[in-house]
Amino acid sequence: MNLRQRNERRLAWLLCAPAVTVLIGVIVYPILYAVWLSLFRYDLRFPEQRVFVGLDNYVSILTSEVWWQALGNTLILTIGSVSIELLLGFILALIMHHTLFWRRAVRAAMLIPYAMITVVAAMAWKFAFDPTTGFIDALLDREQAWLTQRGSAFLVIILTEVWKTTPFMALLLMAGLTLVPHELIQAARVDGANAWQRFIKIVVPTMKPVILVAVLFRTLDAFRIFDTVFILTRGAQNTETVSMVGYNTLLVSLNLGLGSAVSVLIFVGVLIISIVFIKGFGTPTGRRGEIDS
Amino acid sequence: MNRNRIMERIFWGTGNLIVIAYAIVPVLWIVSLSLKRSGDLNDRHFFPQTISFEHYQAIFLDVQFPAALWNSLAIAAISTFLAVIVGMFAAYAIVRLTFPGQRLLLACVLATAMFPPIAIIGPLFNLWRATGLFDTWLGLILPYMTFTLPLAIWILAAFFREIPWDLDKAARIDGATPLQSFIWVMVPLAAPAVFTTAILVFIFAWNDFLFAISLTSTNNARTVPAAIAFFTGSSRFELPIGSIAAASVVITLPVMIMVLIFQRRIVAGLTSGAVKG
Amino acid sequence: MKLLTKVRLILVLAIIGGMLSSGCSRQKGEAIPLLNWYVFNEPSGAFSMAARQCSEASQGAYQVELIPLPADTDQQREQLVRRLAAGDTAIDIIGMDVIWTAEFAQAKWILPWTGHVAEQAKAGRLAAPLQSATYQNQLWGAPFTTNAQLLWYRTDRINTAPETWDEMIHLAETLGKTGIIQAQGERYEGLTVFFISLLASAGGSVLDESGTRISLAQEPTLFALSVMARLANSVAADRNLATAREDQTRLAFESGNASFMVNYTFVWPSAQENTPEIAEHIGWARWPAVIEGKPSRFAIGGINLAVSAYSLHPELAFQAAACIASVRHQQRAAELGGLPPTIAALYDDPKVREIFPFADVLHSTLRDAVLRPQTPLYNDVSLAISRILHPMRAIDPQRDVVRLRDAITRALNSEGLL
Repeated sequence: MNLRQRNERRLAWLLCAPAVTVLIGVIVYPILYAVWLSLFRYDLRFPEQRVFVGLDNYVSILTSEVWWQALGNTLILTIGSVSIELLLGFILALIMHHTLFWRRAVRAAMLIPYAMITVVAAMAWKFAFDPTTGFIDALLDREQAWLTQRGSAFLVIILTEVWKTTPFMALLLMAGLTLVPHELIQAARVDGANAWQRFIKIVVPTMKPVILVAVLFRTLDAFRIFDTVFILTRGAQNTETVSMVGYNTLLVSLNLGLGSAVSVLIFVGVLIISIVFIKGFGTPTGRRGEIDS
Repeated sequence: MNRNRIMERIFWGTGNLIVIAYAIVPVLWIVSLSLKRSGDLNDRHFFPQTISFEHYQAIFLDVQFPAALWNSLAIAAISTFLAVIVGMFAAYAIVRLTFPGQRLLLACVLATAMFPPIAIIGPLFNLWRATGLFDTWLGLILPYMTFTLPLAIWILAAFFREIPWDLDKAARIDGATPLQSFIWVMVPLAAPAVFTTAILVFIFAWNDFLFAISLTSTNNARTVPAAIAFFTGSSRFELPIGSIAAASVVITLPVMIMVLIFQRRIVAGLTSGAVKG
Repeated sequence: MKLLTKVRLILVLAIIGGMLSSGCSRQKGEAIPLLNWYVFNEPSGAFSMAARQCSEASQGAYQVELIPLPADTDQQREQLVRRLAAGDTAIDIIGMDVIWTAEFAQAKWILPWTGHVAEQAKAGRLAAPLQSATYQNQLWGAPFTTNAQLLWYRTDRINTAPETWDEMIHLAETLGKTGIIQAQGERYEGLTVFFISLLASAGGSVLDESGTRISLAQEPTLFALSVMARLANSVAADRNLATAREDQTRLAFESGNASFMVNYTFVWPSAQENTPEIAEHIGWARWPAVIEGKPSRFAIGGINLAVSAYSLHPELAFQAAACIASVRHQQRAAELGGLPPTIAALYDDPKVREIFPFADVLHSTLRDAVLRPQTPLYNDVSLAISRILHPMRAIDPQRDVVRLRDAITRALNSEGLL
């Protein structure tokens, strides 16, 4: 038995080794390397002038209006899109869950936005809103260059993001709906609770863990938004997000030191969001949620 | 009563139609753009007045798109293969074996799933240019398989928990070693899960844009999303809308068909992690 | 299991494909050294003709292959620098925008021109384009094409072209509905060019003579910013000023409802082709001055030909670049592509004068031209300028002088985020 245990342990390590190696090599090591680089003035345009500067890069970023503007934009996009997605996602999930017929077709349709490449989706919406090519202006009977103004550009970006990712939210919520015990609903109905009361008092609390996971996933995803903005505006009209600032500093300016500091700050942002969710709303995993409720 | 029924049917029917329209309008739009003649691109109609395949011809006659398509296919396929194999080993160990650090490993895997790719793009670029991986297939395969690994492990682990492991026990009682039982009993049982995981991983690699534009620069390794974003128009200020639309359709439809065929599995895969924890 | 077989199949195919393609390229590579020339996509075919003829003239010494880059300068740079930073050996000759010289030279991505080829590259060149290819007293490119803006106006509405911006804005305001001035106000490189040209015309510059420290003297900067603010807040400004680039302003001018436009020379052939009835009434003049009696100084554009430091055949690349930038091919580029030459004598060439009826004005503009700051950090400096000054209607000269100084100083310290 002891030998067996030892063998099992050895096999386990062996089976996990490739995954662990790759994760360390391609994620853990680079992020540590990013932290290290962020402490240097290291610009590929001045390859010889690599100097240790301590936290100067961070000071420079945190005192720059570009960074705060980008962070503000990112938060607007994140909060705007995730809240719409949650609302819309619930509606779609309820339709998919309760619909009497075509259930398969409806669920299949939900996968279409998921299967569409983000770049393609962004292009489709870009062309749709284009005043010379698009059908939207023709439909609304107006001449508006949507992407040339900040407000309307944000609207289009959020719409694209919402269209592409709401189905993911809806599918998660639909799966959550199946967890709601039927008897509970029936009992409430007998007690005279109307549909809205049943939804708020029974469905939402039971689904809390699922909702949390869905919202956390999407928030983290939206916080690093890049593709959509890159295609739609390239950051023009003051729609730059933190990921775009990172990309521009790292790969357009080739300023690896400063850019790495931006990367680290984005990473810290993700950590903060995760911690807020986990501490603020309880551990977002199904098991704990079940025990809690 | 009967009237209520009809009302109900109309209600859900409308709901269904809205959902389907929601999903399908942008797809139809890009398809119809790709079928418009060059001269009609600015007619602002939703549907093409005259159907033409000129843009498809154009993109396939150009060197850029076929090269990018081949890169995309090969890179996504190889990444998927590797991620699924590596993920399968780890998921099996996590679900079936007990070893110290098990929970920690799972937690770390989950943590990396939330990781923002932009945070490592700079170091990767610097490492890749130093090691010659810049603008190569391997240079994209490595980040793709790594970033999909958490997803793969997570979904596979969720599926593995459902598998009737008694068979495993039976095999081991019959004298099979854990490795033998893994290969001969469990792998075939796990095939559907593996397949689902593969599709999801493939879609991730197929969809990626940030790594593709950052770590490639030529037809050597540039994938379709990056190629579309950098299509060079004929004139200085014009976006080659027709070519972009046609290329979009070519890379969207196969994935879409695959997803629709295997929709039930994909829904299960997407939601397994979140709901079952 | 099926999937695994499929994947294996793909892998095998991949390997076969790889072998096939490497086999092909080997066959091609042996005979004549291939030089890749990366340059923006030139639609008239003048560049590809130059590549072909120089290859033929080399009698088998080299073969130049044209590889088009995106049209947008920022995107060209983005793609090139990433590959140069990665030490890509597939780049031999670079169609280098005049604003990249310092950056590319400093990073050691390109090779300096010396000896015989350098003499060839300098021969007969206009001073400003030659200066644009020079950094720290070394020549880094062969001046190939140049470009400057002129003032285009409607001769059927205005008798004589205005001399200064103030005069022009005033004149436009009195014209009523058609009194529109087309200028470039989008947040991009063109806005920086606009500002630097105004600043230079007012006697100022962004950097001092060392090229490393900020200058931005108070008075000229205030002058330049006041012109921008006045234009943007005038009824003579187009409603879309804040999103206008060269081509939008050209289209707006061709629609007939504008009477003035500052723009590059490509608008001339375009107007003749698209709207001949308007082209008949187009007049040209020097870009307006900021201070009366002090001729304007425009910040020129254009490309120089540089040789990559990672090229496998640098000697041949120098020869080929010198050939492409020679009189004959500059003349061809002017004739076919409408690209102004950097060789002074060509402005007296009858063929060129036929293409550019405004050759004299252009020539004098180029003689007085200035350069955008020659610093390796130009990209950051330019972004800082266009960020602070966009949108133009919000410019407050007194306040923005300070903000500009601050932003450019940060950029020069390599710490401005953008």
